[in-house]
Amino acid sequence: MRIITHTCPACGTIVAANELEDNRVMKCPGLDCQEVLHFEDLPENAREHFLENRDRYQI
Amino acid sequence: MKGVLLSGGTGSRLRPITHTGPKQLVPVANKPVLEYAIEDLKEAGITEIGVILGNKGREEIQELLGDGSKYEVDITYIVQGNPLGLAHAAGCAQDFVGDDDFVMYLGDNILKSGVTELVESFEAGDYGAGIALQEVENPQAFGIADVDDQGNVTELIEKPDEPPTNLALIGMYVFSPAVFDAIDDLEPSWRGELEITDAIQALLEDDYEIDSHVVTGWWKDTGKPEDILEANRLVLEDTELNTAGVVEDGAETNGRIGLADSAVIKDGAVVRGPVSIAENTTVKSGTYIGPYTSIGANSTLEGIHIENSVVIGDSEITANGRIVDSLLGRKANVESAENHLPEGRRLVVGENSQLKL
Ligand SMILES: [Zn+2]
Repeated sequence: MRIITHTCPACGTIVAANELEDNRVMKCPGLDCQEVLHFEDLPENAREHFLENRDRYQI
Repeated sequence: MKGVLLSGGTGSRLRPITHTGPKQLVPVANKPVLEYAIEDLKEAGITEIGVILGNKGREEIQELLGDGSKYEVDITYIVQGNPLGLAHAAGCAQDFVGDDDFVMYLGDNILKSGVTELVESFEAGDYGAGIALQEVENPQAFGIADVDDQGNVTELIEKPDEPPTNLALIGMYVFSPAVFDAIDDLEPSWRGELEITDAIQALLEDDYEIDSHVVTGWWKDTGKPEDILEANRLVLEDTELNTAGVVEDGAETNGRIGLADSAVIKDGAVVRGPVSIAENTTVKSGTYIGPYTSIGANSTLEGIHIENSVVIGDSEITANGRIVDSLLGRKANVESAENHLPEGRRLVVGENSQLKL
């Protein structure tokens, strides 16, 4: 299963795509980091792959 | 070599303690379980550590560990979110790990011997992965490894009816970056998780050699209250304890006692080690603290007899009774019901609490 992550450009915290997709727009979970992360920050092919296989990234 | 430390999970077996925080921060001998893992990794020469966060306790874990500088390590946080399995957690760490090998360590595990030997054994050969094993008496209840004469793993079997060995997998692994290709090809198991044992099995099938290292000292998964007590006992038994605080004249102490410099054992109290007492805690007259007990910070004990127990901290324990084999959460108070009518115990007990009266 392809695992997709995104790295916060401000603090370096790595966030799994399932977390980004759950929220779509979220404050970076890094403590004291004000960066706003978007599911759209992921490359298009990664987003497409994720959405096509969305069920497998849920629990 | 990098480190990947897993700090997710719901901690459901440790409720109610984990209603208010992650299980990896429950203290053993007055130190959060997770700090033992950081120290073990550092001792093995690993200073770049990725900490995997689940859905619970993200802020608390980051507040404790910070950027790692207080442990002289460098921490990167990796938010896994949903608990999609250990192999998913490892996969989330791929950008952090890059082309390095890495140790994967379950943050609620605590073991006497650390991970240095596991790492050295892995580095002595050309392995796809290395796994830590421990001999168990009931191999039917564990994931079991079969190994050849050289200690190379030949097969992994989950809870076998006829176990080929009594060597159970414990939560410590070393991986080469080859594991990421194996994870890429994995499918979720029947329980909807990407299983790390499936990833190791895939490496075996791709003809990678898998090293094994049998851990001989104690190992504890601190998932349940009785495990916390047991880990506390094992750590107190093994750790050097330093009496920095005040022991007043007229206090009776013997055995090894860890006493923080702002903690006090008052005249008329009795403490028998091994015991650990944290900052700003006062043990007043008439109190008995018996072996294998840890009392957290900012607490007062008066008149109670307590042994083989863990008090997390910020507690007032002033009842005139005996507490044994107990785990008391933060800000839990135990007072006397004497002079209260009608006679009886008075409880305010949270969800999932367990009392034996
Ligand atoms: Zn950030």
